[in-house]
Amino acid sequence: MSDAVLRVENIWKSFGELEVLKGISFDVAESEVKVIFGPSGSGKSTLLRCINYLDPPDKGDVYLRGVRLGDPDTDINKVRARIGMVFQHFNLFTHLKAIDNVAIGPQKVLGLSKEEARERAMDALRHVKMEKWAEHYPAQLSGGQQQRVGIARALAMSPDVILFDEPTSALDPELIGEVLQVMLDLAQEGTTMIVVTHEMGFAKSVADEMIFIDKGVIVERGTPHHFFTSPESERAQQFLHKLEELYGQSEEKRNTLVDRDA
Amino acid sequence: MMGAEPAFPNFNPLGIEEWLGELAAGFAMTVYLYFVALIGGFVLGLGLALARQYGGRVLSRIATAYIEVIRGTPLLAQLFLIYFVPYSLNAWFTPDGPPLLDVTWSVRIFGVTVLNHAIFSTLLSLGLNSAAYQAEYMRGAMASIGSGQMLAAQSLGFTKRETLRYIIIPQSFRRMIPSWSNEASYLPKYTVVATFVAVEDLFGMAKLIVSRTFLALQTYVFVGALYLALISVIAKALDVIYERTKIPGL
Repeated sequence: MSDAVLRVENIWKSFGELEVLKGISFDVAESEVKVIFGPSGSGKSTLLRCINYLDPPDKGDVYLRGVRLGDPDTDINKVRARIGMVFQHFNLFTHLKAIDNVAIGPQKVLGLSKEEARERAMDALRHVKMEKWAEHYPAQLSGGQQQRVGIARALAMSPDVILFDEPTSALDPELIGEVLQVMLDLAQEGTTMIVVTHEMGFAKSVADEMIFIDKGVIVERGTPHHFFTSPESERAQQFLHKLEELYGQSEEKRNTLVDRDA
Repeated sequence: MMGAEPAFPNFNPLGIEEWLGELAAGFAMTVYLYFVALIGGFVLGLGLALARQYGGRVLSRIATAYIEVIRGTPLLAQLFLIYFVPYSLNAWFTPDGPPLLDVTWSVRIFGVTVLNHAIFSTLLSLGLNSAAYQAEYMRGAMASIGSGQMLAAQSLGFTKRETLRYIIIPQSFRRMIPSWSNEASYLPKYTVVATFVAVEDLFGMAKLIVSRTFLALQTYVFVGALYLALISVIAKALDVIYERTKIPGL
């Protein structure tokens, strides 16, 4: 698949004795939404951090539009600027207003003028419906609002792909909807995304492919339809069953919200 | 009724008013030593803090060693070491060896000596000493920022240097003010070591006045009050700066 935006090839990663990733491979095509899920400690977050080389893999390669990230000639900072990242705990810059959180990347990394960067930041904030909060500091915003600023910060760089690392796991239940809504909109506009999440409603409505990871390996992959009707592996079945038990009710509620807007 | 005879006929509540000029000069010298050492220590301390916190294996060990040696030895010993280096070297030089090091140089501005060997040694030892303490306050502030923002900056494509400059340093300056104000208010008192190498700072002037007038009580109370006034102003100023630069909502 030469038209892959991102190619992950046989990634291995261990921390000391602990092997976290044991040979993960997949491709992400243009406008594709890839959902990665699996039990906690299965290596999902590590995988995302290997993809943008925040934690370089021990073995294996990552290619962004054909450019090998591990290549000594590759300027990793330039490549990272093209891979957006949204974090579980938002990780906004606390000393900057929402608008400056979003503008600082385009200004300092892409070299835009201050005015251009702010304009672009404002567009991104509008995209996540946070333009009214542009002049607020992160500590003055709710978790859901902070996460939307976090998404705007990634968007403003016009990245080739955005990685989402459990973007709703740290949110109060009533705030999850607004963040998922923004992510749904992005998915439908054709944003290329890799999303680590347990929000199965989101996966159902927009994932092109779901990947189930356990103990550092891909156990099973397929369409949402495949996973929600006939998952093959016992581990995936058990895990999906557990999710349903835990989140079943709120999941339904959220699905209605998702369906209405989809 | 007691007569007009006072209980302490020899008590002269002032008696030091004719020495106000000397006290003012001493105070000016103390303030000068303080600010130069504080600012010099700030710049070097920032370098040490960055090296210790983000410098990688070699740099962080060098910074740590420096900080521990400075904090583990007396300031006065550090001053004497610096002050006596040229004298010691001169003592080793033979008459037909290299020329002796000059310890009599001075820089005067409007007739006031602003720099000579003793003042320079004092500034250097105070600055090098303060840097170690300031570095630890800065490092504490940096460590409290958490790795998340660092990761976020790096995933935007920031280099490590840009991350430190735009994200870490601006926040750590704000966060460090409350603890750093300790060093800012200790340092004026540490400048008294200048007296030991015959720099005429406020404390040195006080000693001089006492040796001439024997008015120890009022001299030291007055001088103490001057230190107190200086430090109160500094503490208040830092409070104001802290409030003004506080990040809203935090």
